[in-house]
Formats: sequence, structure tokens, C-alpha cells
Amino acid sequence: MDWSILLDPLILSELVFQGLVRGSMYALMGIGLSLIFGILGIVNFAHGEQFMIGTYCMYFVAAVLGLPFIAGILFAGVVLFFVGMAIERGLVEPLRRRAGRDWLVDSFVLTIGLMVVLQNLAQIVFGTRRRGVTTLLPGSFEIAGITITYERLAIFLTALAVVGLLFLFIRFTALGKAIRATAQHAEAAQTLGIDIARIYTIGFGLGAALAGIAGALLISIFPAFPTVGYQPVLKSFAVVIIGGLGNIPGAIAAGYLLGVVEAYAIFLLSAGWQAVLTPLLIVLVLIFRPQGLFTVQGERP
Amino acid sequence: MNRALATAARPVWTPMRLFKVLALLLLLVLVPPFADNPYLTTIFISAVMFGLFGAIYDLMIGYCGLINFGYAGFIAAGAYASALAAFHYGISPWLGLLIGGAAAALLGLFTGLITLRLRGLYLGLTTWFVAEALRFTISNADSYTRGVRGLAVDPFPDLFGISFARGNLLTYYYLLLVLGALIMLAMYLLVRSKAGLAFKAIREDELAAQSLAVDTTRYKLLNFTVASFLTGVLGAYYAHYLGILTPTPEEFGVPRTVEILTIAYVGGRGSLWGALFAAFLLIGFQEYFRELEAWRLVLYGLLLIGIMLFAPKGLAGLRKHFW
Repeated sequence: MDWSILLDPLILSELVFQGLVRGSMYALMGIGLSLIFGILGIVNFAHGEQFMIGTYCMYFVAAVLGLPFIAGILFAGVVLFFVGMAIERGLVEPLRRRAGRDWLVDSFVLTIGLMVVLQNLAQIVFGTRRRGVTTLLPGSFEIAGITITYERLAIFLTALAVVGLLFLFIRFTALGKAIRATAQHAEAAQTLGIDIARIYTIGFGLGAALAGIAGALLISIFPAFPTVGYQPVLKSFAVVIIGGLGNIPGAIAAGYLLGVVEAYAIFLLSAGWQAVLTPLLIVLVLIFRPQGLFTVQGERP
Repeated sequence: MNRALATAARPVWTPMRLFKVLALLLLLVLVPPFADNPYLTTIFISAVMFGLFGAIYDLMIGYCGLINFGYAGFIAAGAYASALAAFHYGISPWLGLLIGGAAAALLGLFTGLITLRLRGLYLGLTTWFVAEALRFTISNADSYTRGVRGLAVDPFPDLFGISFARGNLLTYYYLLLVLGALIMLAMYLLVRSKAGLAFKAIREDELAAQSLAVDTTRYKLLNFTVASFLTGVLGAYYAHYLGILTPTPEEFGVPRTVEILTIAYVGGRGSLWGALFAAFLLIGFQEYFRELEAWRLVLYGLLLIGIMLFAPKGLAGLRKHFW
């Protein structure tokens, strides 16, 4: 192989842009996971199934109803917000009252059960057929020699917008401040009059909504089928480990980083071996920097 | 105080209880040969094997709070190590049982070393990544492992004049019972030892155990490596019993891990034996309702959720009624 192509600026920037599109999904998924972990202390394994429901929402809106893609994004976000709140109220809340010390492992196992149920129910209801939307936005333009489709640009910009809005919401609104307070110290927040049960429910809903939006955005790459969430959830767990568990800015940075690394890997490695790359990366991070690449404090997790 | 604790921790062997254990063991030994039905024997083999996997899983989760979400990958490590040793280098599958155990133990030691010093669910997540990396490596290293085309595995060679040809299901069943007895005995001795006390202390309150000078990382590593070794031995048995290995998710991926995890949880955490009962119940159930297909896993998932919410002790919670 001629390695000089790696230095070709055209290919270089093309790959970086591809990576940023993938990274948008990883960042959205990773923020959702980090949010749920940070607020509720749950490692949510059913996150991929929330992504999967998002893809079906988008398919329904864009392919069945024929509405523009922005409607699909909104629809997926709203549906998943309510699904997430229902999960929290119906399953997580009762477990919290019982679990005590076993919380971390028990809540993880609960979400594993939820993952299995949602995945197989989807298979029973929808079958294994892949329902994709080939192009959400047709057309492309050229800038400095590289071709960018409108769709990819839209994915990238929508993800940025969602991340930006979320940042503003958490940073400046009263509810956002209550969420941060609960994440930092739930009991203290409670004594200050914050209804933490409500924050837990909203937090889970927000995390699920982010997964749903990620699923809806990426439907041209990940068509709707019952097990579509598996690769995204695997990658988004990689993202939260690389970025540091519960660290939202870290998840964003790690999401885009992993996206770009993968874009190069796809270009350089055969299809099967890329799947080995992410786990290897995780193992290296855990050996050399277990607190995550983007954690400033020196404390070990 | 100490004595009271020691007697409370040991089961009381009343004659009635001894009788129940013997009756169950006799059923296990005698039902397959008397039923003389190959289909029933394969179900018994599956149930005992999955029960043992579940019990080993319980050694990790129920005694030390360690969750291995890549468990199927550890089975794959044992199965492929023994199968490849036989396939490429003509090493006897009898030695392969140990090779499989050693391969999985090495994998466990490595994963444990990098994650067990960390708190939380790093172990669960990392084992998952490692298992998936292993599975993809197996499918990609096609020329060595035959990948998704499937690796044909020889049966065990004859031992002491007993034939282990593939059709001899009963021989395989009794071999499994012998292996199972050794595995259960090893785990029983381990949890009754001083290390077992340390495991429980870690499970109950890791910080408190640390402050009492229990080297928690070392004991967790011991628990995890031993469990991985036993998994590998059983994985090697699985390879030579099954005859063909393919790195599919159903065989060595998340669905398999979820099955075993469910068996361990239904059996009841910290009970070791509960998993065997759970395996007979669940595998018997799914064999009886073969047409369930996707509903089968829905049921597994619902069971897990139900156990988490309503019956955290699993079947072991029923012990006071029947034991």
C-alpha cells in the first residue's frame, strides 16, 4: 500500500469530515449515557434500543408520512423523552427503593433485561427487515475540492445544534441548574428543596431523547431494524470510557475523536478488523489513563 | 460471637436435608440412562452445562459483586483454545480441558488486572469489549480458526477403554457430571475458605473491607481468575461435545451471556446451587415451548427485570419452604 495517500490533503479532509459525521452520533449517544450515569448512577445498557426506537420514529415520519427530516428528529426526540420518563417511573424508581448498596450492578442488570425485551419485541412486531431512508436531503456541494452532501452537513449541524441547546439548557435554566445540583450531590439538592425524583425522571427522559435523536439523524447509515442499536451502544460506551464516565464535555470530545479515528480505520483496515480496533483502544485507555482522556482532576475512578 | 458467626455460615446437615440431596443426585445420575431417550439426554447435558456456567457466574456476581458482561467470550476462549490445539497441533482434548482453562484464566487475569483496581462497572464494560474483540478476531483470522465457516472439533479420544465417540451421549453426560462435581467442589471449598469470607466482605461493603486491611483488588482478581479458569475448562468440554464452533453472537456473544446471567440471577445470587435448578427450569421450559422463538428472549428479559424488582433472591429465596 502506498502510504503517501495519507498525506494527501484532499483525502485527509474528506476522512476528517466523515469522521465528524460519525462522531456526531457517538457524541449524542455518549452525552445521553453520561447524563443518565451522572444524574441517576445507572449504566444504561438499553441505550442502543432507545437509538433503535429513534430510527423507527424517523422511518415512520420520513418514509411513511413523507414529512421533512426535521419533523422526524423532533418526533423521535419527543417520543423517546416520554419513553425514557416511563422507563424511569415504571422500572428504575421501584428498583431504587429496593436496591440500596447493589444499585450499580442491579440497575445495570435491569437495563440488560430491558434491552433484551425491547429488541425482541421489535423483532416480533416489525420483523428483521431493514427499513431505511436512502436520502433525507438530496444534493451536494463542493468546497476546496472535497464533496460534501447536504445530508452529511445536516447531520453534523443538527448534532451541533442539539449539543449547543443542551449546553444552554443545563447551564442557564433553573431546571438545568437543578439537574446539575442533583448530579453533584442528590441529598444536598433535596435539602435545598429540589424534587430529586422529578429530576431523575427528566434526566432519564433527556438521555433517552438524545439516543432517539441520534438514531433518527443517522437513518441513512443505520436503517431501522431490531438490533441496529448494538454497534452504536458499543461505540458510545467506548466514548464514555475514553471521555471519562459521567463527564459530558469528555463524551463530546471522545465522540468526535472516535469518529475520526474510525473513519481512518475504515479507510485503512479491512471491514472485520475495524471491529477489533475500538475494544483495543479502550483497553489502552484503561491501562494508561483509566480516568478518561479528558478528565482534568487526577482522581482515579 | 465468632463461633455464632461460624455456625450461622455453615449449613446444618440434618438427615432430612442429606436425604433430599441424595435423592436429587440420584435423579441426576439415573434419569437419563433409564429414560434411554437421546433427546432427553441432550436436554440434561444442556441443563447441567448451563447450570454450571450459571453457578460459576454466581461465584463472581453473587460472592464478589463482579459482573462479567463478556462471559460468552470467556467460554469461547476455552472452547477455541482446546479445539485449535487439537486441530493444528494434535494435542489430546483431555489435555485441552486444561489448555482451555488456562486460556480463559489468562484472559480473566488480563482483564481483571486492568479493571479491578477501578471502581464501578469498568469490569462489566471491559469484559464486554474484550469478548467482542475476541469474537471478531476469531471470525477474521479465518485461515487459522476457519471463522464463520465453522471449526470442526474432534470428540474426546477413548479413555480407560471407554468410548467417547460422538454418538455416546450418556458417556458425555457422565463426563460432564464428573467435571461438574469437581467444579462445584472447587467453588464450594473456595467460598468456605478464608478467601470466601473476603469475597463476602467485598460484596457487602468494599470500602469497609479495605479499611479492615483486606486487599480487595487481590481477592477480586483471585475470584475472577478462578471463575475464568473453570469457565474455560467447561468451554473446552463444550467444544468437543458440540463438534463445531462458529463465532456467532448466539453462540459466543451477548445473547449467550444474557442467558447465563439470567440463569444465575433466577437461581439466586450467592447460592451457587440455585443456578442448577434454574437451568433445569429454564431449559426445560424452552425445550417444551419450542415455538416461542423471539418470545423466548423476551421472557428471559422479563424474568431478569422481574427478579430485579420483586425477587432479588431468585429461587434461593424459596429455600426456606423446601429445604
